[in-house]
Amino acid sequence: MSTTNMHLAVTDRPLDGNSALEFCSAPGHGAVDLFIGRVRDFNQGRSVVGVSYDLHAALCRNVFAEIAAEALDRWGRETRLWLTHRSGRLDVGEASVVAAASSRHRDEAFKACRYLVEQMKHRAPIWKQEHYVDGDSEWVKGHALCGHG
Amino acid sequence: MTTMNAPTDSLEVQLFGGFRQFIPNGTLLVEPGEAKTVADLRRQVERAFGDDENALMLLKASAFATDRRVLDDESERLPSDEPLSVLPPVCGG
Repeated sequence: MSTTNMHLAVTDRPLDGNSALEFCSAPGHGAVDLFIGRVRDFNQGRSVVGVSYDLHAALCRNVFAEIAAEALDRWGRETRLWLTHRSGRLDVGEASVVAAASSRHRDEAFKACRYLVEQMKHRAPIWKQEHYVDGDSEWVKGHALCGHG
Repeated sequence: MTTMNAPTDSLEVQLFGGFRQFIPNGTLLVEPGEAKTVADLRRQVERAFGDDENALMLLKASAFATDRRVLDDESERLPSDEPLSVLPPVCGG
């Protein structure tokens, strides 16, 4: 989903931070904050060679839209937001998530960008399976969802 | 791994994440029976997993959802004509 001030997507294609920076840009915006989450090679004492991301695409897009709407409510309707997440198997170093926010001043951009990332991690229907150097794979434990609103 | 034959008039429930270790294709077919609420459906899914303790433990920590929103187990009626899913604890990023 893309509007004039937010771009939200899940994709099986490589993510591009430059596109986020181009989108989160306006003449009156003196600040842009960019976050890129990448697959790292070590977790919980085990050497990781890759991560497979599974996601519920339709619900994910809805949750992203809710989170973005909340961010606009908090930090102003003129804030520009970008949130994209990968699906499928990724190697170490590949970007799994790109989030960005731009605004007039840095405080709103920092906070809005962090809000996108933290809320996505807690609320978006995304799961990851780590693949280890010894050939084993394991689904990572996460945050339980709740439908109480 | 849990395997099942498709019952007549079965209800299709999509599974994600860790459930794929029990049902790799991610689709569970359950007998809708008298299921009228989300809690009823949870019991039907529990039955479908039988005595697979690992699957049941994951189910206990999971939520039910449509393509639009996460459902409330405690009080909500089962939506009709909407795809249903079981969502284990999430960990994006």
